[in-house]
Amino acid sequence: MSTNLFTEPLSRRGLLKAGAASAVLAGLTGCSSNSASPSGPKTLNVAVFTDQASANKLTKAAGTFEAAHPGVKVKFTGTTGTDWNDFFSKLLTQIAAGNAPDIAAVATEGLQLFAAKELAEPLDDYVKRDASELKSYFADVHPALVEAMMYQGHLYELPSDFNAGNMFYSTSLLSSVGVERPADNWTKDDFYDIARKVSAKGNNVVGWNWVVRLWGSWTSWMYANGGNLLTEGKYDGGDWLWNTFYPNDPAAAGRKGGWQWGDPTANSTPVVEALDFMIQLQKEGLSPTPDVGGGGTLQGLFASNKIGMAIGGGFWAGGLHNAGMAPGSFDVQYFPKWKSQRHLFGAGGYGILKSSKNKDLAWEFLKTLVTPKNMDLLSPGNVTTFPRKSMMTAQRYASTGPKNWQVFYDTLTKFDDTAPIPAPPYYNAMAIALNKRTTQAMSTGDAKSALDGLQSDLESAAKTS
Amino acid sequence: MTAITLVAARTQSRSRRIKLGTLLSLVVLIAAAVLVVAPIAWALATSLRTPATSFDQPPQWIPSDPVWSNYKAVFQQVPLAGFFVNSFLVTGLIVVGQLITSTMSGYAFAMVRFRGSKALFWIILATMMVPLQTTIIPVFLIIKYLGLTDSRLSLILPAVGGAFGTFLMRQYFLQMPRELGEAGRVDGASHFQVFARIYAPMARAPMATLAVLTFSAYWNEFFRPLIFLQSTSKFTLPLGLVTLQGTLGTGSISIVLAGVIIALIPSVLIFLAAQRYFVEGIVAGSFR
Amino acid sequence: MQPARSRARREALFGYAMIALSLVVVFVFTAAPIVGSFVLALFKWDAISSPQFIGLDNFEALLQDKTITHSLLVTAGLAVMIVFLQVALGLWLALLVARRASAIVRNLFRAAFFLPMLASAASISIVMTYVFNDHFGVINYYLGALHLPTVPWLSSAGGATATIVLVAVWQQLGFTFILFVAALGSLPQDVLEAAQIDGASSARLFRQIKLPLISPTVLFACTVGLINTMQLFDQPYVMTKGGPGEATYTTVLVVYQTAFQNLQFGYASAMSVLLFAVLLVITAVQFTVSRKWVFYS
Repeated sequence: MSTNLFTEPLSRRGLLKAGAASAVLAGLTGCSSNSASPSGPKTLNVAVFTDQASANKLTKAAGTFEAAHPGVKVKFTGTTGTDWNDFFSKLLTQIAAGNAPDIAAVATEGLQLFAAKELAEPLDDYVKRDASELKSYFADVHPALVEAMMYQGHLYELPSDFNAGNMFYSTSLLSSVGVERPADNWTKDDFYDIARKVSAKGNNVVGWNWVVRLWGSWTSWMYANGGNLLTEGKYDGGDWLWNTFYPNDPAAAGRKGGWQWGDPTANSTPVVEALDFMIQLQKEGLSPTPDVGGGGTLQGLFASNKIGMAIGGGFWAGGLHNAGMAPGSFDVQYFPKWKSQRHLFGAGGYGILKSSKNKDLAWEFLKTLVTPKNMDLLSPGNVTTFPRKSMMTAQRYASTGPKNWQVFYDTLTKFDDTAPIPAPPYYNAMAIALNKRTTQAMSTGDAKSALDGLQSDLESAAKTS
Repeated sequence: MTAITLVAARTQSRSRRIKLGTLLSLVVLIAAAVLVVAPIAWALATSLRTPATSFDQPPQWIPSDPVWSNYKAVFQQVPLAGFFVNSFLVTGLIVVGQLITSTMSGYAFAMVRFRGSKALFWIILATMMVPLQTTIIPVFLIIKYLGLTDSRLSLILPAVGGAFGTFLMRQYFLQMPRELGEAGRVDGASHFQVFARIYAPMARAPMATLAVLTFSAYWNEFFRPLIFLQSTSKFTLPLGLVTLQGTLGTGSISIVLAGVIIALIPSVLIFLAAQRYFVEGIVAGSFR
Repeated sequence: MQPARSRARREALFGYAMIALSLVVVFVFTAAPIVGSFVLALFKWDAISSPQFIGLDNFEALLQDKTITHSLLVTAGLAVMIVFLQVALGLWLALLVARRASAIVRNLFRAAFFLPMLASAASISIVMTYVFNDHFGVINYYLGALHLPTVPWLSSAGGATATIVLVAVWQQLGFTFILFVAALGSLPQDVLEAAQIDGASSARLFRQIKLPLISPTVLFACTVGLINTMQLFDQPYVMTKGGPGEATYTTVLVVYQTAFQNLQFGYASAMSVLLFAVLLVITAVQFTVSRKWVFYS
């Protein structure tokens, strides 16, 4: 009885019975819920992490699909937040409230969260069925991105975009200290040297700035230093995919059934060293206090030429352009080398929710979303990096910059150890703990004890999940 | 003689002391007022600078070359107009609902004899002590079972009746003469007519106070919208502004601040128009 | 007899009808949720799969949870500082303004002090995030210009606490100011004049006459202030996300993250119950205190 009460939302009819007055009000204010799907024309609901205005623009990508499937409408619903965990909690509460969408755009961050809670539908059977149709897609997409969308041997999403953590720099600030462009294999010491010189210019300009978060934060330094928050491993399986689509691709060698994030290693030496480096930079005045979460302020500071260098991915090409930076005033280079030059990345994609009543239809739509034409419509203006190599062209970056746009995709091809950010099923709890412990370290100057705390936070999060 | 001069001298010296004191107090007050207004003045000034110069120091308190484009940009980047409509809709309906329910129940508890009236009044009053934040989870679930998640109604319904309004209106009705109603009854008016035609019109002032207080409590609300709403199209202003700062990464504090200033305008206008009721409301709340 | 009884019954029915709406709203959205919190606290539930009855495990876990006890201390500390400053400053400014006879001047100050209250705490916090920015903020710019040491406002535990306190006090000052101006204005003039003629100094006048007379208002401001600030959320949510570390991690922020980000609804309910109990104790203590020293005319 009580169990029922907990999980069953009141039906529309029940609501009417329960209170005619409230229903009248609902009509009056246009706030009626869409918990019950109306019969007749089918609607595919797609949840995306963006504001509604941008989400509305995505409907263009559904044009051909809707024409081919009369009576089907695609509706994109945008949800905003500071970081992915905000979006996921909104999406989860929406699912809990019985308003689950059919398709959700869930980035690497949440892939395992949704897969482990059995909220997402594995795509294996669909992919196998339509293998010939998908050959050209997979041939164009780097296997590292595909592997990042797998969990326990199953594929849950088709990658639609990604961002690797590269280093952006202000061309004028760097050239004013005598650096035209850092070398491809520049090192942490080179970076430090440039940051020091830029900061010495005064006038509120600093060498580098960053954001407290999981993607492209001090975590990039952690990867370069050979560390990680969790033990790395891979699930078995996935051969069905690798053998079908990447039979002779050396880049697919060693790929398996998705990343398996094991015991926390948040207070191991390379991790502590990376965070200590951030503390050192801040203490020496080479970087200001980082923001937590959203990258808005960082982008604004960079665009107003107050920052020499900052971590960014392909999305910054469009982002900085939209913030008013002229092409040529900024450029991008690989992340510097520390013990290694390992990069991290995050990938976005679309998955189908288990609760969807229109899974077959959703899959048909999913396939159309990863065509070059629709990817262009979904992410106009270089606000991300496309997973299809063929779409990365000089022409695309001609109006926005950066000059060295090849860096974005070559991060995958040039460095075969480039890996996704660690995102276990308890990602939400991990994101909160990471932010908390990072700010603790920055304020106390004690990276070790903050990361000891993170270690125990992660241990208990892994246990309760 | 001496006594008189003494007193006179004393008053004179005191008046000089008072004058110095008044001057000092004026200085302190002006300093405090400047400090209080400064951040908002800064926000206004910075909202008129170009995004590229918005981080430049020193701040330009009076922009030499005001840029109005940020105000246009904020409407383009987020559905600010929609946030306004939502805020007005939600707050407006809450105010109307509060006025109706509180006037009715306040009147009943003050003027109408019925069994259990005292006990029920105390029960309602006791819930005034229950802070919203401690019950947010069950309220969220109730909203869910009503099928109202992600709707503006989820903000309105729980707020249309409340202990404070009932209490406030009851206080005012208690001060009104009972004889008027009795005379009305003798003339054949129904209970409801007595309430609607005789007493309710007399309660316009407390109703205005309640309206203003309710408005200011819900116009700026952030916590419930943050939890109950998911779609941007339903956001109210405070939530919308925070997301403007968050995800969009417009990279421009000027635009964010333009949004903050625009959102401030309606409440400033209402305050200027109904200043008296704001003050009365705050004071009325303290004499309970 | 019959008509009189039916008349009484009709009046009673009318009474019930008049309170029905308020009663329903209060019951459904305040009374029932209190009970609901207690019930939910007995479950382990992620709001998606079916709930699992675990008895008092959540409460047991609460006692071991350093984060929640720490957050209660953090919140209480913030609340005491905010309320003290709010009341003291509001009262001081009200005393100063009371000397200014002119109503225009008084209204002008009132409008100035009230201005921040017209904005939402959330959007004010956005503004303040920029104002208090360690490196690019206005405040540190002026501190530097005056050759004073700059303050790591949002990046140190003490600085972040101070920022939250300052912002909250700054925004709520208008409330206590208006309250005390009204209270001081309603003091019996003859008593004050008599005391003045007796040659009482203004300090004595305040301590021995004004303060006792306005003590109910002081208590009210403290009660309302404490209950409100014990629920502090908007400012830390926007400005610090509870950081650095857990320095400004208020209880409601913990509850919010536990429930709506980690989806631990049962555990978060147990936290709510704890917070509710703490608030109840504060209210009770204040009532007792009020009996002891508050002067009711």
